Amino acid sequence: MIDAIDKAAGLSPDDALFNARRFRPEFVQGAELCRLSVLMPANDQGLAPALRVALARRMAALNADQALIADYAAQLAQLDPPEQLRALAEGERDLDEPLATIARHADLVTLTPNRAAASDIARLAEAGLNNPQIVALSELIAFVNFQTRVAAGLRLMRSA
Amino acid sequence: MMSAVRLKPLTWHPHIAPVELSEATQEQLDAMKVTPSSKKVSDYVRTLVHDPESYLARTVLFNAIMYVDGGLARPDRELGALAASIVNGCKYCAVVHARRHAELTKSDDLVTALYLDRPETLGPRDAAIYSFARRLSVTPSQATPDDIASLRAVGMDDIEIIDLIHAISIFGWANRLMHVLGHAESGA
Repeated sequence: MIDAIDKAAGLSPDDALFNARRFRPEFVQGAELCRLSVLMPANDQGLAPALRVALARRMAALNADQALIADYAAQLAQLDPPEQLRALAEGERDLDEPLATIARHADLVTLTPNRAAASDIARLAEAGLNNPQIVALSELIAFVNFQTRVAAGLRLMRSA
Repeated sequence: MMSAVRLKPLTWHPHIAPVELSEATQEQLDAMKVTPSSKKVSDYVRTLVHDPESYLARTVLFNAIMYVDGGLARPDRELGALAASIVNGCKYCAVVHARRHAELTKSDDLVTALYLDRPETLGPRDAAIYSFARRLSVTPSQATPDDIASLRAVGMDDIEIIDLIHAISIFGWANRLMHVLGHAESGA
């Protein structure tokens, strides 16, 4: 079965690399369960799937990952998002709260995680996020940055 | 001759209040059982278990990537983790995985070279891994097909390179939790 990382890396079952990836079924299955846990969890902690997918689209763009940009954009379109989430997905900064603070945080942690400070978490709390939401947002941001790197690495293996 | 760098462990303090065990839900208690060493439930675990679904899924994947048998040698996975942690500015993770590398190899040489910013003193295999790990960790990735060619040139096969990509990438994840949700201090 082709999963999200195969799609992002452009792998099909005929590719040697598709099969090499299956040498580690625990990585393949583990990454897919992680994807579900951050994008469509049973308990979304009040961060709706459309917000999560919109953020993923935004962070795929910061990672310049064309395949994942297209994939998340298609998923978002299916959720029929409100205008504010479309704007967030497209990288807009001029957004209503708490979306502006959430988007700023996703950008900071994606691009320059080394610069993150206690004050950035305080900003999320001031924007109204509770602790489970702060953790769920952090896991989503971190997951997309994992996924883009696995996809980028596999694409390089195909082309090298 | 460089004098050896020996790092002391840091202590991690969260920016938000961790879940109190007395107030944890059954789902949170179940999720926390997956931790590798459950003598004491750390602040880190109790902070991340605020969202038990992602905590559980990530912990299972993390342990597979860092500890699964065969494929890429353990010290090489630790080097990928260390390089990512340096790029991402996670001092806590960097110290943990630098120490683990030194333990596994029974040598401080690699850690000394990296902490004194002398990567040119690394052997060819470590140099190829370190360079690729740094470049893949930047946003967006700066890694190129030449990096993969360098890994193959030092004898790494596709299984090992896939293992390495995962070790680097899972620290693109872990660093964005540890360094973002808390800070590291000297002393236990």
